[in-house]
Amino acid sequence: MNNSLKTAMIAAGLAASALVAPVAQAADVCSVWLVENSRFMGVPFGAFMPDRAFVPGSTNKSNNINTVDLPVNVGVIKCGNELMLYDAGWNQTDYHKMTGTDHWSPLSKQIAQLGFDAKDVKKIIVGHGHWDHAGSLDEFPNAVLYIQKEELRGIEWALNYPHPRISAVNDSPGGCARTPACGYPSKTMDSVYGKVLKGKAVIVDGEAEVIPGVKIHPAFRAHTAGSQLLEVPTAIGKLVFGSDAYSSWEAIRDWNIANPQQTDTVQQFLAYEQCYKITGGYQNCVCAHEPLSYTDGYPLTKNSWVGMNGGRLAEITLAPGEKSRKK
Amino acid sequence: MQTEVSGSQRTARVAAIKGFGVGALVVGLIALMAMAALRETASTKAPIAIPSTEVQHERVAITPDEETYARELWPIHAQVKQDAVKMTFAGLAYKMGDIKREAVKQRVAPLTAIFESAVAAMEKIKPPASMLALHGEYLEAIQLYRDASVEMIKVAADGRDVHLVEAQKKSSRASDLTLKVGEMLWPGEFKPN
Repeated sequence: MNNSLKTAMIAAGLAASALVAPVAQAADVCSVWLVENSRFMGVPFGAFMPDRAFVPGSTNKSNNINTVDLPVNVGVIKCGNELMLYDAGWNQTDYHKMTGTDHWSPLSKQIAQLGFDAKDVKKIIVGHGHWDHAGSLDEFPNAVLYIQKEELRGIEWALNYPHPRISAVNDSPGGCARTPACGYPSKTMDSVYGKVLKGKAVIVDGEAEVIPGVKIHPAFRAHTAGSQLLEVPTAIGKLVFGSDAYSSWEAIRDWNIANPQQTDTVQQFLAYEQCYKITGGYQNCVCAHEPLSYTDGYPLTKNSWVGMNGGRLAEITLAPGEKSRKK
Repeated sequence: MQTEVSGSQRTARVAAIKGFGVGALVVGLIALMAMAALRETASTKAPIAIPSTEVQHERVAITPDEETYARELWPIHAQVKQDAVKMTFAGLAYKMGDIKREAVKQRVAPLTAIFESAVAAMEKIKPPASMLALHGEYLEAIQLYRDASVEMIKVAADGRDVHLVEAQKKSSRASDLTLKVGEMLWPGEFKPN
């Protein structure tokens, strides 16, 4: 484990020994799948990527698309016998229908399509704590949550700001969109806290190694205060998962910002740079909301199929000996 | 070839031409209106097909009484939701070792008072008949938050995590309820983040 890592242990007893020590399971390379937990339909392209704002009548391919459908992608990573998720999607209930969402299914059922049981998921690394990325934690009772301390610190600062213009969370009257505490409703934060109370959380402070070769890299303010990337060794080279720091693959390719929320755009570019440095380019950057996901337009994810409720899946790479789970 | 035309014939011809012109104009206008009407009819008869699985963003309009109720509940909702997350973060800060257990009480006790005030305020609101069930759920949510805060404060006295666990169960149930009510009264609070 990296010396610079400062891991704050949350639970007494069990957690302390189980979580601080590096997990014995090492893997030369991991198998990786991508699951579309849901899709936000008809989002104005300019709201997602300012440089792609729609200009009526424009023939410029950067500005001639009005709206896009944004997948909510979750990484499923299997290294040896260690099954983990990068991000946890969200949990749709009747009162979430107004988000403009389609193709949602419970994440536990979605990974079952790959032949995985929710109870076998041992780790969930959330790229950040927004409700659509840390929203299904309760479906994975045995999974240890990895979240950056800086993320929690940033939320708490915003929550305590003395004016609701800054401190509003989603379910404050009127909601919010991009303000500092936005994206962290009580239900989501309660789930994070629940993991902490059960001794199933590691509060990461900077760099960390989840298992040998699988590394967390901080990307603070690249999307939220405590965003984090995940480096994963695979047979096709290293992948870097970026959650919403890597909202759009095209943005990483073209050096545009994407999905600015609690974002310092310089830090977002530095997070892109991290992927270029680790993987040698932009092809292996794994993005959370790329509209081209599951198509040839985003080659890493093109080996895809349609699963339950129209949600898509992709088999990105298999470790030697791992059989295809593509249906 | 030229044809001579007398004055009266010329006047009659001009009148005829004018009449024809006006007639043509009227016919043209009618034709234009007919075409526009046809296009309008065509567009209303052929809506864009929406797949059955696609979410329909429609909701039933609320009545004036319900709107008044939503308006009265609004400031309570504002205060409670914010303080609910603050309560969660008091627990997180304690578990992360950022604050001592006595500080949990310092942070949460003021929230208990706020939740109690919210319960009192809720009891003064008279919901319309159609909102009685929803009102009951929201009242239950605030009571759960209040009870959770009371439970949580006990950790300051004995340091036992069981209080935090019990409190979290209550607040988790409460956050489900407030989400449900919030989405019914003030939809659109959740946007892609």
